[in-house]
Amino acid sequence: MTGSDVFQDLQREFGPASGFAVQPVRDDVPTIWVPRESVTPVLKFLKNSAPQPYRMLYDLTAIDERKRVHREGQPESDFTLVYHLLSLERNADVRIKAALQGEYPTAASVTNIFPAANWYEREVWDMFGIKFDGHPNLRRILMPPTWEGHPLRKEHPARATEMGPFQMSAERVDREQEALRFHPEEWGMKPRGENSEYLFLNLGPNHPGVHGVIRFLLQLDGEEILDVVPEIGFHHRGAEKMAERQTWHTYIPYTDRIDYLGGSMNNLAYVLAVEKLAGVDVPDRAKVIRIMLSEFFRLASHLVWYGTLAQDLGALSPVFFTFNDRERIFDIVEAITGGRMHPSWFRIGGVAQDLPQGWERLVEDFLRYMPARLREYDMLVLQNRIFKGRTQGIGAFTREEAIEWGMTGPGLRSTGLGWDFRKQRPYGGYDQFEFDIPVGANGDCYDRAVVRVEEMRQSLRIIEQCRKNMPAGPYKSAHPLATPPVKERTMHDIETLIAHFLSVSWGPVIPAGEAFAGIEATKGNNGYYLISDGGIHAYRARIRAPSFPHIQMVPLISRGLIIADLIAILGSVDFVLADVDR
Amino acid sequence: MTRTIDNVPNLTPASSRETLEEVVKRSVLLTRLEDLLAWGRSNSIWPFGFGLSCCFVEMATSLTSKYDLARFGSEIIRGTPRESDMIIIAGTMFIKMAPVVQRLYEQVMAPRWVISMGSCANSGGMYDIYSVVQGVDKFLPVDVYVPGCPPNPYAFVEGLNLLQRAVGTERRPLSWVVGPQGVYRAPLPARRDAKRDHRSQATVLRGPDEV
Repeated sequence: MTGSDVFQDLQREFGPASGFAVQPVRDDVPTIWVPRESVTPVLKFLKNSAPQPYRMLYDLTAIDERKRVHREGQPESDFTLVYHLLSLERNADVRIKAALQGEYPTAASVTNIFPAANWYEREVWDMFGIKFDGHPNLRRILMPPTWEGHPLRKEHPARATEMGPFQMSAERVDREQEALRFHPEEWGMKPRGENSEYLFLNLGPNHPGVHGVIRFLLQLDGEEILDVVPEIGFHHRGAEKMAERQTWHTYIPYTDRIDYLGGSMNNLAYVLAVEKLAGVDVPDRAKVIRIMLSEFFRLASHLVWYGTLAQDLGALSPVFFTFNDRERIFDIVEAITGGRMHPSWFRIGGVAQDLPQGWERLVEDFLRYMPARLREYDMLVLQNRIFKGRTQGIGAFTREEAIEWGMTGPGLRSTGLGWDFRKQRPYGGYDQFEFDIPVGANGDCYDRAVVRVEEMRQSLRIIEQCRKNMPAGPYKSAHPLATPPVKERTMHDIETLIAHFLSVSWGPVIPAGEAFAGIEATKGNNGYYLISDGGIHAYRARIRAPSFPHIQMVPLISRGLIIADLIAILGSVDFVLADVDR
Repeated sequence: MTRTIDNVPNLTPASSRETLEEVVKRSVLLTRLEDLLAWGRSNSIWPFGFGLSCCFVEMATSLTSKYDLARFGSEIIRGTPRESDMIIIAGTMFIKMAPVVQRLYEQVMAPRWVISMGSCANSGGMYDIYSVVQGVDKFLPVDVYVPGCPPNPYAFVEGLNLLQRAVGTERRPLSWVVGPQGVYRAPLPARRDAKRDHRSQATVLRGPDEV
C-alpha cells in the first residue's frame, strides 16, 4: 500500500508545518491526525485534487477516548472523529483522524464534500453526541427520537437491565407513536405542488415488501415518487457497544447476527481484524475451511435474495425452490458446524473444529446438484419477460454515483467496475483461488441480479477448489492467543494449564493497537475496525456494514419512479436490517 | 372452575352389518358446537405476516416445502393484523419497535394468540443491551415460547403444534348471552419436563467427527 505516499501528498499540499502526524497502527491503512479545522480542506484535497484521489467515503465514525489508557504518540483528544477514505485508483485506504475536546464537542460537517457523510454524521451525533455544523438535517438516526443520552459514550449504560424495567403504558405508546409521526416540512418537502396536493405514504416499519423493520416515507405525486426518506434504527441491537463488554472471543457470536444471512462470513471479517491486532498466523487448512464456509454462506444468502426478489415481483414459485437449495447448504453447514444460520464457528487463529469425516461427499453431491438448478432459475427468473420488464432500466445508478455514495459489492460491480476485495486485496487465502469477478454494465436492478447469479457460479467454483485442494494440517494456530488453545497446548504443565484457564475463563488479552479488516461479504464490503486498549475486550469496535450506505442511496435511485419500482429496487439492493442498524 | 374437555370423536370403521344407530354414528358427526369451533380454530390459525430479525428467516423457511407449514393450516400469511389469529414475535424486540408492535397486536382480532420465537423474544437472549426489550412478555401475553437462536424451523413447527393443541382444548363462550362467560384453557406444561425422561434415556450421543 502507498501509506507514506499519501502523507507526502498531504505535506506537499499543506506544508510541513501543518500539524499532521502519522499514527502507527497494526493494519496497513495510513492513519493521519490532522487539526480539526483542517479536516474540510484535507478531505476536499484527497477527494478532488490529490493524485489518484480518494473518492469514496468508506466509513465515518468516532471514538470516545476519555477512558483510553494506551494512546502513546497520539494527540490529546476527548472524542476522535475517524474518516476512512478509499481510493479505487490506488487500491488503498487512508484514515484521517481529528481530535475534539470537551464533553459535547462540535465539528464541521463534511456533507458538502461527501454527500454520503449525511447518515454517518447523524449516526455519530446519535451515538456520541457530537454535533456537526452545517449538516442539513442533524437528527437521531438509530435511537428513537425520544431517547435520552448517546449510547456509545462511555458513561451511557450498556445493559438494558441496568436501565430499570421496561414498561409499556398506553401513554408511552401514544408518545412514541406521536414521535414517529412524519412531518414533511422537517425534511424540506412541500405539501403541494403547482397543480396538485402531494400524498405522503408511510411504508413500514412493518411491511412485507421492505424486507424487515425499516420505514420509507414517500412523497407521491399521483403514483410518481417525488422523494423518499428511509427511516432506520428499528433494528439497532447495540452490536458496537456489545463489543466493549464481551471478550474478544465471546464476541464472535454477535458478529454472526450482523448480516444474519451471511452466517460465518461475518466471523471472518472480525477474526481477521483480531488476528491482525494480535499478530496471529492462521494455518492453511483453517484458511481453506473458512473460505469454503464463507462461500457456502454467500450462496445461501444469494439464494434467499434470489427467491425473495422474484417473489416481490410476483413470481411465487422460485422462492420455494431457492429455499430448498438453501436447506441443502444448511445440511452441509450443520454437518460441519452443528449450526444453521449462526454457527459462530470461526475462532481467533482458526476454526472451532476440524472437518468431520465424510464432508467431501456432501460437498461433491451439492456441487453436482446445484449448477443445473441455477440454469433452471435463469429460465424461471432472469429470462422471464415480466421480471425483465420490472427490473431493466429501473433503479439505475452510474459508477460515479455508486462511488460517491459508498456503494460496494454487487451493486458497484453492476456498473461495470470489477471491484472485489477478494481480488483487489486478497484476504484470508483468496489469492490461491481461481475465480472471475462478474460485472454488469447498466447498474440497474436487472444487472445487479445478473451479477449476483454469476457470483453464485463463481462461489461454486471456489468451493470445488476447496474440495479438491483441502490442505492437511492443523485447523487452528499454535499461537498463544489462539482461542481456545489447541489441545496440545493445554494442561501439560503449570504454564499451559494457567494459559488455558485464563484464555478460556477470562479471555485472551489482545495487545493495544488499532486494526481494520474488510472482506467481500454477501451484501458488499463488511469490515471491523477494532481498537484494543490492551484488555480482554475491545475498547471500541466499529462495524462497517455495507447495507447502511446502500439504504442511504435508495432515495437517489427511486425518484421519478412508482412504488412498484421501489419494491424492485429494495429487493435488488439486497440488504439486511441487522446490517443497516447493527 | 374447570370443565372436562372432549376430544373430537373418532369415526369408527364400518362393519358389515350395521344398525341404524351405527350408520348414523359413522356418517354423522356429533359434537358440541363449542368443540367444533375449537377444532376449527386450532386447525386454521392464520399468522400475521410480521418479522423482526433473524428468526423471521427461519419462520419463513418453515413455510417452504421441506417443513411445509401448510400441513397445519397455518400457511395463510395475512398482510394485515385484522385478518390474523396469531402474531409470531420472530426476532429481537427493539425499544424503538415495541410501540409499533403493541399497536399491531391490538389490531389482531380476538381470539388471538402470541408465539414468542427465539431467545431474544423470549427473554432478550444474548442482547442485554440498551436498545432491546428483555422479552416480549414485558408487554404482550405470550402463549408459547420457542427456544433457540434462531430456533430450527422444526422447533417452530413444534411450537405451533403446541399452540394448536392448546387452542383445540380452549373453551370460549359461544356468545355473550350463551353459557358461562370466560375462557377456559388447559395448562401448558414446559416441554423440558415432558421430554426429560426420554432425553435421559439417551446413552450414546453422536460425535461431531462424522457427518
